[in-house]
Amino acid sequence: MWSTAREIAAGDVVIAWMTRDIVQPLVVTPGKELNSKYGYYRHSELVGVPYGSKIRSRNGKGFIHLLRPTPELWTLALPHRTQILYLADIAFVVSWLDLKPGSNVIEAGTGSGSFSHSVARTIGPAGHLWSFEFHETRANKAKEEFSRHGMDGVVTLTHRNVCKDGFTVVDTVDAVFLDLPAPWDAVEHAKQALRKDRTTRICCFSPCMEQVLRTVSALNEAGFTEITMYETLLRPHQVDAAPPLTPVSVVGEKLKQSEARREEKRLRQIANARAGAERRAAKRKAEDDDTLEGTEGKRAKTAGQSAAAGTSVADAASAPVREVAQEAAGATKICLSKTFPEVRGHTSYLTFAVLLPATVMSTVLAVSTSEQPSTAVSAEPTPPPPSAVEVSDCDCCIFRGEGWRS
Amino acid sequence: MDVGEGSSQSNHALSNREETIQLGHTVLLKIPSGDIRTVKLEGNATIYLGKFGSFPTSELVGQPFGLTYEIVDKKLKVLPPRPMQEVEDTEATNELIHDGQFVQPLTLEEIETLKKSGLHASEIIKKQIEQHANYSLKTEYSKEKYKKRKEMKYSKSFSVIEPTMFNVCEYWFDKDQNRLRDIRPDALAQILNLANVRPGGRYLAVDDASGVVVSAVLDRLGGQGRLLTICDVDSPPAYPVMTQMNFRKEVTSIMSSLNWATADEDYTPILASTEPPSGKFKSDGQRTRLNKRKVASDLLMQTREELFAGEFDGLIVATEYDPYSILEKLFPYLGGSASIVVHSPYVQVVTNLQNQLRDIPGYLGPAVTEGFLRKYQVLPGRTHPMMNASGSGGFILHVIKIYDDESAVSVMQHRHRKKAKLGSEDVSARATPTGGAKEEEAQSAGASSATLTSIVDTDAGEVDKRTS
Repeated sequence: MWSTAREIAAGDVVIAWMTRDIVQPLVVTPGKELNSKYGYYRHSELVGVPYGSKIRSRNGKGFIHLLRPTPELWTLALPHRTQILYLADIAFVVSWLDLKPGSNVIEAGTGSGSFSHSVARTIGPAGHLWSFEFHETRANKAKEEFSRHGMDGVVTLTHRNVCKDGFTVVDTVDAVFLDLPAPWDAVEHAKQALRKDRTTRICCFSPCMEQVLRTVSALNEAGFTEITMYETLLRPHQVDAAPPLTPVSVVGEKLKQSEARREEKRLRQIANARAGAERRAAKRKAEDDDTLEGTEGKRAKTAGQSAAAGTSVADAASAPVREVAQEAAGATKICLSKTFPEVRGHTSYLTFAVLLPATVMSTVLAVSTSEQPSTAVSAEPTPPPPSAVEVSDCDCCIFRGEGWRS
Repeated sequence: MDVGEGSSQSNHALSNREETIQLGHTVLLKIPSGDIRTVKLEGNATIYLGKFGSFPTSELVGQPFGLTYEIVDKKLKVLPPRPMQEVEDTEATNELIHDGQFVQPLTLEEIETLKKSGLHASEIIKKQIEQHANYSLKTEYSKEKYKKRKEMKYSKSFSVIEPTMFNVCEYWFDKDQNRLRDIRPDALAQILNLANVRPGGRYLAVDDASGVVVSAVLDRLGGQGRLLTICDVDSPPAYPVMTQMNFRKEVTSIMSSLNWATADEDYTPILASTEPPSGKFKSDGQRTRLNKRKVASDLLMQTREELFAGEFDGLIVATEYDPYSILEKLFPYLGGSASIVVHSPYVQVVTNLQNQLRDIPGYLGPAVTEGFLRKYQVLPGRTHPMMNASGSGGFILHVIKIYDDESAVSVMQHRHRKKAKLGSEDVSARATPTGGAKEEEAQSAGASSATLTSIVDTDAGEVDKRTS
């Protein structure tokens, strides 16, 4: 697959990481240049640089990171020709199908190759992936891509409509993955391709419940067992460093202080008003009889002034305390996280099933199944506890009559 | 694109375990109640499954994994898989069925007698149904459930669970998720993919999760590549999950372990002398003993050298210890572009770590994700999510190691005045060390709303393009 050397060589596929949003594949071709918003780079200068290096632009403005391609980075960087599979589904399918070094796998359709790269990585050179795509242009594009990524030894890509024409191998593969609009049409073909000397697995990837129901029916009729269905998603978390949350006592103090200031202002205004009134009265009086009767008004004024002075001193003292508290908060930020407001809500349902070795399957035909005692190999691997069973009785009414036989 | 090309490549790679059940294997047996027993197969032994019966070990040896058996006179009879039954819709409802009604005249003693008489489970259930006062009132769905419940009680059958990594992880998770540190099968799958585990790769793992990570990495290496684990004990670590995987020796032989003392570059392990004190071996016993000791200490020193030589392709951490301290220690031993994956049952552990890492050059794009998994019951006419589900599979942080270039400056530098010191209070300065283009688009440590939206679309690469 991709280069495993420490340093980048001419012809290597590298991933240029500009930002989290902008991740681009790049074939290092000396003579070419990379010119983007994030700087200006000559491919020839990337040769010999270790993978994982931060590279500065020739003009000193900007930089990029050159990463070794992985199927996960490829999923971010690949040119979309179709809707693609993402990490959560890919990882889960690979794991359930028990893919590992040496596994033989069928995939249909190839699509944009997101899943193919992941499978090729996991099964390694000892395994093999037969990939089928019914859209000719897409098939050719994918084939080019696989070649460029050094996957020719691991992947055989065939342009073919597998629902109509079936697969190219018989009794060979350990697992089949169907990402098709009508996977039920390919179930019998898949059964042919699966090896019969051991337990094998299948996964059908469908976005709609109606598709799932038809697929389950087809799998059941074809003799697949342990039919289960999952839905899996990733919830990315947003992490923020924030000042510690303010206790309400601080808020209370603030309110108390502003209330005190308001009261003080009110008193001052009353005092001022009174003093003004008295002044005016005194003035009038003075105008009337120019005597020493204005002393009382003077006294009232001084009293009001001293009261005002008292509160402002208290206010001045409390202000620095608040500032200090805020500074301390700034120094020791706390780490908070929440799920992003918009996340992917659904990709597809993953329907899985197992095909037992031929030796066991042959006995199925011999025995009339309807009269067989039930065994632990059932469609419901973990039976819910009795209480849940009763509850679900009612729930079933909701589902009944919907789509199963349609 | 040639038809059939590659079919000849149907390979002969040795699989990770024997294709059939062998003596010495530890198998998982699922009994009708749904419980799973783990049994080690010893020669000439009998396996007891309580009321479900018993049989000699030899009955299982040579059998493929994944089959279901009925125990008949201490012999195993392979049961064919049962297809799902379509259930006819009828007019029946539970309108006339009341709780606490006396419906089953067959007493417990009578059922016990029937069982002792050796009557087949299906016969007992048939009798119970015949006697049941309200059975005919039940809906067909309800009847199915009734039969299933009874079968769980009386049938003398069991299945051998195929020890795939998924199944073994699920078994342990269901048994005691604390011992797996909440690593659910979906989380494990994501860890393996994010760490880019591939045959031939070289990985470091810190696994305090009973060995589920170590087992999974070994399963994906298939005997090619290298796994170095670092543990917190002075003897070889016990990775109990590995027992059920029944790996061949070739699969596990590529693993070596150090501990937090021997993995310390500044520390010289205290090794007992491998030379006889007198300069001469006193006995053959002493010679063998000392030679053995020498092999062990040489191996330890070699493993240390290998770790310190570095250039590992990935690091996986599932630990009870401070992950930051682990990353600090092992970061130098990773190659450029190596993936680092940290799993924790606690969101705070990984979010704090992300908060620490985004200030440090060398760590590219730390992202925290949480897996969601929902299992469905799929039965004809009765498809719905399972009533009981797992609440959490833990949280995963993924980050890529890069070689920093301090001279590189962001295209946006004129906007973000570069502050010299790390740890300065200024928010934009905190992001500067990793800075640059990243800071501009998505990475600013500050929490401006514009910054946050840009992370929304991209974290963990989950750009929503599948809206249909």
